[in-house]
Amino acid sequence: MNVAVMKTKAEQAISESFEVAAAKLPGSAAVQARRAQAIGAFSGLGLPHRRIEEWKYTDLRANLKEVLPAAVEDKTPLTIAELLVALGPLAHVDAHRIVFVNGHYRAGLSDTSDAAGLMTSTIAKALQSASEEAVARLASTPEGGDAVEALNTAFMTDGAIVEVAKGASVNRPLLMIFVRAGSDANAVTVRNLINAGEGASATIIEADVVLPGAVRDTHLNTLTEVSVGKGATLNHVKVAVDEGKSLHLSNWEVRLAADANYSGFQFSSGLGFARNGINVLFDGEGSKLDLSGAYLARHSEHVDTTLVVDHAVPHCESRELFKGVLDGHGRGVFQGKIIVRPDAQKTDGKQMSQALMLSEDAEFDSKPELEIYADDVVCGHGTTSAELDPDLLFYCRSRGIPEKEARALMIESFIGEALDKVEHEGLREALASYAMQWLGRSRRG
Amino acid sequence: MAAVQETIDQVRKIDVDQYKYGFETLIDSIQAPKGLDESTVRYISAKKGEPEWLLTWRLEAFTRWKAMTEPTWAKVRYPKIDFQDLYYYSAPKSTEGPKSLAEVDPELLETYKKLGIPLKEQEVLAGVTGSRVAVDAVFDSVSVVTTFKDELKKAGVIFCSISEAVREHPELVKKYLGSVVPQSDNFYASLNSAVFSDGSFVYVPEGVRCPMELSTYFRINARQTGQFERTLIIADRGAYVSYLEGCTAPMRDENQLHAAVVELVALDDAEIKYSTVQNWYPGDAQGKGGIYNFVTKRGDCRGHHSKISWTQVETGSAITWKYPSCILRGDYSRGEFYSIAVSNGYQQVDSGTKMIHLGKNSTSRIISKGIAAGYSENTYRGLVSAHRKATNVRNFTNCDSLLIGDKCGAHTVPYIEAKNSSAHFEHEATTSKISDDMLFYCRQRGLSAEEAVALVVNGFVRDVLQQLPMEFMAESQKLIGISLEGSVG
Repeated sequence: MNVAVMKTKAEQAISESFEVAAAKLPGSAAVQARRAQAIGAFSGLGLPHRRIEEWKYTDLRANLKEVLPAAVEDKTPLTIAELLVALGPLAHVDAHRIVFVNGHYRAGLSDTSDAAGLMTSTIAKALQSASEEAVARLASTPEGGDAVEALNTAFMTDGAIVEVAKGASVNRPLLMIFVRAGSDANAVTVRNLINAGEGASATIIEADVVLPGAVRDTHLNTLTEVSVGKGATLNHVKVAVDEGKSLHLSNWEVRLAADANYSGFQFSSGLGFARNGINVLFDGEGSKLDLSGAYLARHSEHVDTTLVVDHAVPHCESRELFKGVLDGHGRGVFQGKIIVRPDAQKTDGKQMSQALMLSEDAEFDSKPELEIYADDVVCGHGTTSAELDPDLLFYCRSRGIPEKEARALMIESFIGEALDKVEHEGLREALASYAMQWLGRSRRG
Repeated sequence: MAAVQETIDQVRKIDVDQYKYGFETLIDSIQAPKGLDESTVRYISAKKGEPEWLLTWRLEAFTRWKAMTEPTWAKVRYPKIDFQDLYYYSAPKSTEGPKSLAEVDPELLETYKKLGIPLKEQEVLAGVTGSRVAVDAVFDSVSVVTTFKDELKKAGVIFCSISEAVREHPELVKKYLGSVVPQSDNFYASLNSAVFSDGSFVYVPEGVRCPMELSTYFRINARQTGQFERTLIIADRGAYVSYLEGCTAPMRDENQLHAAVVELVALDDAEIKYSTVQNWYPGDAQGKGGIYNFVTKRGDCRGHHSKISWTQVETGSAITWKYPSCILRGDYSRGEFYSIAVSNGYQQVDSGTKMIHLGKNSTSRIISKGIAAGYSENTYRGLVSAHRKATNVRNFTNCDSLLIGDKCGAHTVPYIEAKNSSAHFEHEATTSKISDDMLFYCRQRGLSAEEAVALVVNGFVRDVLQQLPMEFMAESQKLIGISLEGSVG
């Protein structure tokens, strides 16, 4: 129905918040014009709600009631030691570092000195000085973008620009750290651009973490655009760890050139209300995609993973595996769409989404979708949801393992299958210990 | 994997230009004035001599319908329907008045004979067509004849047209009509509630196993006419009934609308088996003409241990928009949905099911196969949901699609909503996971993996299809034989 809907208070407040922040947001006049255009687009769209098919299970309009002021500047003091505390298990991963505090680059905490083949810079800088063409690229909402991406263009303050040089093989992973510190509740908006040149190979980790004791109810809007060049290999991991209050809106826009090899992984734990969107476009033949993820939710947390894998060209392969553990009133949402375009023959696509429900009040909604227009393809999807298998539990207990431990073991092995997809050993271990921490704190774990 | 030649040949045999039921019966008919307003609703109600309460019920539905807009969420494209450019009622002149078989217009009997529908009981008894089936024949807006009524009566089963049921058994109709699909359910169901003209009514009393298959055969004949039939089947405690539905229409280059509503009610321990062979005219090879099939079918497993099973073979219609569903209200109730949807030419199919688990320990199974050829679009759309209080529910879903040619599309849009932890839902697209035990057993007996899968998946469907008395049974079986090779989830 095309009925003009009254704007909600929050939608009104977002537009007002933009008026206040506009002058302080980085960028040349051309960028400011783009931002104004984006907020205009947002006003037209409004906050996505459950009547919009893609947001059926994640009603942002109903869940975003209070609009926080945009984090246009940041002066929060933060030491290396504090940063390491915020990183938790990730601190042990030996990596190059680029650090953003409340959405602003912090040179003093970053270290990319010996990263051969890796060039890093920041969005804020690029926005200030960019040429016409670069502005169009930087400050445009990606094609088919929705209201959340429009908001990202309007409000983005900073973010990383990462270039992996042609043919370069980067020795250590690059850790992009987005840490929230201080006591001001605000809305942090970040844009990242990652470009892996032809034949390059690298591991890039995005980490959304919070300094213990910092204010929890932040709103995060992150958009990462990834372009993987011909024959390049990119391992891309996102870790978002919080304690159940914040609102996370995250989007990945990935484009794969021919013979590219991209493996993406998303780990989330303790996100109050989260929407993780992943869009992948196959832009050249012979590419491989491996997307996976693990999410943990309890209390009344809500984690939504929505992906669209677009097989626009023939001879590509895609694999997806997502696993969620839901406790308390936790709610997991998985929407996965595989599109096979008319000429994309010999496509091989497989998708699996599984949820483990630990409490009676948990909820899992799943919508795996296939849209296929080519006849010589192999495509499949599967989805399951269940509680811990009482037979297995009984088996463990009959072997003398206490119930609590048996449950933990089973959950660990359930999540482990997804975590195994992470190639970097140190990182995999860090994620496993995040999961263990979560289990330790979980009501029944 | 691409489709094998055998499959291609079989699908070709039922391609749109091979439609066999496209003839037209020339017969005088009475029509309501074109268009739809309150007077049309009153006209239909008066024509049928309906009591006041039903007219009020219709008018309520009409008021609601006026406030509704056409749904656009399905993956089907068609020009906007002009609801004022249709006849909402059309009846052969000769059917006015009482109808025993002897009184039926020979022209009509000839029509059904051509369609292969046995209306003459003696012939049926003489074994002309093999199995015995009671038929309610609906021609445009009216029921022409219902066979085997007396014999069914002896068993206590009521099988008649819904207009007759309104006259003879108003208490039953009043109690159940609209109790599964309410007047305001959706756009097409509301339209149907306002203008439904005829359809079948079945009531199987407590503990009775219906002695024969019941069936309705729907035929659209008149031009520019929409068919709006309404079927209501009630299986009382411990009763069992198997019901078949068939449909055909003449070949025309206009699009005709068919918006039916089917309501099933199964009380404690009752079972209803509902099978459909939908073969409306699909339009020609250029996509011109054909039936728009917008149907609401829903079963309510109201009692504990009740069971409703839907089987459908969909080969016709230009557009299919149909989701036979089960509301599993009773504890330990069971819902099943077996579907084969074949689309050819420019057909568009958006079909599937809903299994709504409300009762504890309820189970459901969905097996759907979509085969798309030519320029057609074939979508499976389904919902499986478990209510917060519906503990220990189980669902298994398997949907396969097969594409023949690169101009068609096959889509799968399942929704799975588990609102409690003991719900055990599996949605599978890989054929090898149907039941490993069964497959292993078959393979152990020397069947290949593919033969084994075909056997397992089709075993259920074949069971029902072999009972079909109509000529197109042969076609249905051809479809069943279609190889699973090259299927995609």
